[in-house]
Amino acid sequence: MTYDPAEARRAILDRLRGALSGPRPVFRDRSHLSGAPGTPSAVTGADGDRRSLAEQFGVQLEEIYGTYEILEDATEARARLVQLVTDWSTEEDAEVLSWASRALPIENLGESLEESGISLFVPEDLHDESTRARAARARIGLTGADAAFASTGSIVVASGRGKSRAASLLPLRHLVLVPMSRIYPTFEAWLHTLRQEQGLGSYLRVSGQIVFITGPSKSADIELNLTLGVHGPRVVHALIYDDAW
Amino acid sequence: MTNNSTSRPRVALFVTCMVDTLHPGVGTAAADLLERHGVDVIFPEKQTCCGQPAYNAGYRKDARALARHFIDVFWPLVDEGRIDAVVAPSGSCVAMVKRQYPVLFETQDEEYRMRAVQLGEVTFELTQYMVDFLGICDTGAGFSGKVAYHPCCHLLRELRIDAQPRRLLASLREAEIVELPGADECCGFGGLFALKNAEISTAMGRRKADNLKASEANLVVMNDVSCMTHLNGILEHEGHACRAVHIAELLNRRDEGDGG
Amino acid sequence: MAVDAGAPYATRVRQALADDGMRAALDRATGHLRERRDRAIAEIDERRFRDEAGAVRRYAIQHLPDLLEQLEGNLIGNGCQVHWARDAAEALGVVLDIARENRVGDVAKSKSMVTEEIGLNDALERSGINVVETDLGEFIVQLAGEPPSHILAPVIHKRVEDIAEVFSDKLDIPHTTDPVELCAAARRELRNEFLVADMGISGCNFAIAETGTICVVTNEGNGRMVTSLPRVYVAIAGIEKVVRSAEDAVLLWQAASRNATGQKVSVYFSMSSGPRRRGDTDGPEEMHVILLDNGRSRILERGYGDATLCIRCGACIDVCPVYREIGGHAYGRTPYSGPIGAVLTPLLDYDIHGARDLPFASSLCGACRDVCPVKIDLPRLLLDLRSVVVERGGSPMSERVAIRAYSTAARRPVPYRALARLAGWLRPLAGLLPPLATWKRGRSLPRFAARRFGALWRERVRDDEGGTE
Repeated sequence: MTYDPAEARRAILDRLRGALSGPRPVFRDRSHLSGAPGTPSAVTGADGDRRSLAEQFGVQLEEIYGTYEILEDATEARARLVQLVTDWSTEEDAEVLSWASRALPIENLGESLEESGISLFVPEDLHDESTRARAARARIGLTGADAAFASTGSIVVASGRGKSRAASLLPLRHLVLVPMSRIYPTFEAWLHTLRQEQGLGSYLRVSGQIVFITGPSKSADIELNLTLGVHGPRVVHALIYDDAW
Repeated sequence: MTNNSTSRPRVALFVTCMVDTLHPGVGTAAADLLERHGVDVIFPEKQTCCGQPAYNAGYRKDARALARHFIDVFWPLVDEGRIDAVVAPSGSCVAMVKRQYPVLFETQDEEYRMRAVQLGEVTFELTQYMVDFLGICDTGAGFSGKVAYHPCCHLLRELRIDAQPRRLLASLREAEIVELPGADECCGFGGLFALKNAEISTAMGRRKADNLKASEANLVVMNDVSCMTHLNGILEHEGHACRAVHIAELLNRRDEGDGG
Repeated sequence: MAVDAGAPYATRVRQALADDGMRAALDRATGHLRERRDRAIAEIDERRFRDEAGAVRRYAIQHLPDLLEQLEGNLIGNGCQVHWARDAAEALGVVLDIARENRVGDVAKSKSMVTEEIGLNDALERSGINVVETDLGEFIVQLAGEPPSHILAPVIHKRVEDIAEVFSDKLDIPHTTDPVELCAAARRELRNEFLVADMGISGCNFAIAETGTICVVTNEGNGRMVTSLPRVYVAIAGIEKVVRSAEDAVLLWQAASRNATGQKVSVYFSMSSGPRRRGDTDGPEEMHVILLDNGRSRILERGYGDATLCIRCGACIDVCPVYREIGGHAYGRTPYSGPIGAVLTPLLDYDIHGARDLPFASSLCGACRDVCPVKIDLPRLLLDLRSVVVERGGSPMSERVAIRAYSTAARRPVPYRALARLAGWLRPLAGLLPPLATWKRGRSLPRFAARRFGALWRERVRDDEGGTE
């Protein structure tokens, strides 16, 4: 028996069409059927000004074992970042696996970190073996957030030029820069904005992958004991700053 | 009650096959309760079984035959305006009539499906009828001891009846109503399940018995004699002192000093 | 004593009920999950949440062929390769072909029930490909040589002591029962696997038709690893996983999270819309999506489409009083256990008979229906499947005879009364009658009343008439 992809495709679709248009209803329980459903409403809400959304984001993140600080502006965030990385970099492998400087939300961040003696490792191709090994050694990952959500403490990172997936995934600690302008009350509000403004579809398709991250990696598989940092970061620290001016 | 005879509610009692053969006292208690609160009760003697055992075991044809019989006994009484309601001391059998009869006749027999729907609209579980239709909150009964309430699954999750029996129990004289851990978990009866999966059924029953022990209840009250029979079997077998009773019998207890 | 998932149903149940360690673990775990779920659901407008989630899933199933074609078009537009597979054999063939073409030696897999359904690990290993499960729980059951026993918590049947045994046995680490240390050992072991794997395989929680996007939900991050690090990424999606839009997927993600573990959302939600783009640092060079039927279109043909609404949250399993007593392995060689498993397993089988005991493994208490986030009427489906088993002659002869006798008698009052009397007389013979003997094993027998209610009623009416006249 040989596999004919076109035949398999046709057979499946024909069968489905037959079942759906046949005399026999496909559902036993027809009490819940209605027309095309509208856009789903927000599951949990959050509102307030940018400051208040920032605080709600932080509180939610803390609830799921993340940590956060709210800083006045980009300058303060930059200073705090330098200090944190210095404090955390006691080991010899003091490299920070990072998004490219231009992909980070604070301008010239890479340069000012270098001035403080902190080197950012921005990999070019992770399928290169030595690059991969070097990335795997990094203890700290640094990224921006493409969006953040006050109601859940989640962030979105989209893959793209200079925006490695590994930086928010491989190291034990993930530092994420969250400008207040990117904090939305809810997922639904963000999706709504994207759909209205620039086309949700193209946003999702431009990146190979977009990921929602809600706190540190965790598992409760061992008799429901919560353990953090199973495969991804054990620490997710958000530096939230006001980027309005 | 000062109702004159024309406005007295008229009810046909469906006692269910298990009450009829195993626990007739529950039927008597149900009839007493209704009559004492001004209801004219009739008992259609041709009634047998709602067909649930066969239905739940997968025997649709047999269940349909029993459902037809049930409809033939009760529907004409409703259709001819001789009764206002069918009342049964069971959540499970009422759920069978209200929820499953329409499924049973869905593609088989439109006439019987319609009758089933009409009959379902006026078929009620005893405590629901007492509280929601007769407005009874207190039957004057008493029990000196600790009482736990076990909500039977079909009563709770098919019919959504919970407040009514609890409200009636709250009025019991002298009784202390105790919290039953895991109260809304199934006791493990489940009709033929109790035989087909006897070991799982008894494991579930033992869990309920353990919870009853923890609650320190002397009595556990429920609205279905099926679950009651199963639980009493477990409690007796396990040597627990607690016993399961049907709510009608408890609510129908008259105070000793009543004189009546 | 562990449960042998390949044994007959009665044996599996007996083994499960005798396994006190497993039952203790199950009891704790399901209780904990139920509490977490209850808290998470109490925070939200449950009615609206279920209405919307149910409507979104029902719409998707009703428009399945169109949405699948739209999905396919968009996936291809995004640079993915799309494969259609009618059954397990075709899907396995596709995976093996992709593996061969890419000279794959090591596969890292994220937890996926659909790959359990088609027996992917065995097939890969038979072709000399090393495959590692990377979800912590799934990794543990793989080490132990067992199938998963719960769609979300594969190792829910094991206590920490049991897991410690497995680790010290198979991983060559000092014996420890500290979950943090056990987890660290798994991280070390699996980190290496992620870095060397040539191919990542995941299932698919939701496939977004509008954008051509495969969504994978994880908490540990293994879903991100397998979709980001290996050169080749293969997603295997049951055809029922397709949804209309990103908005719908995000709603269902929240529904799955709250109902599965009581989280607002899972830690990670990866939305892959193709291989890495030009200039990207990482991500797969090839992304394949296998759209698998394997019995799903037949489920729709048979009119059990409700079962295809399932979003695999596991809430029905955690509230099931039967699952709590026997665990997942008692449902046999199937990744789907609990109420949804008792429905899906026989339906996915060509012959419903293969799993004919499962629809009866329920007391029909209805707890599952009350929690289902997409409002699947599970008791209804179980009842319908029971009738199919019976119609096809799959019930025991003794039962058929007994039910037929009972329902024939109970159709008319006179034989019904005779039968009731007969039952009363037979009570002393309980030891000889199989059903009564079964009842008696763990329960005392009820007594048949000396007089039926009907007789009491006649007396009562007579007394009344006498009294009032």
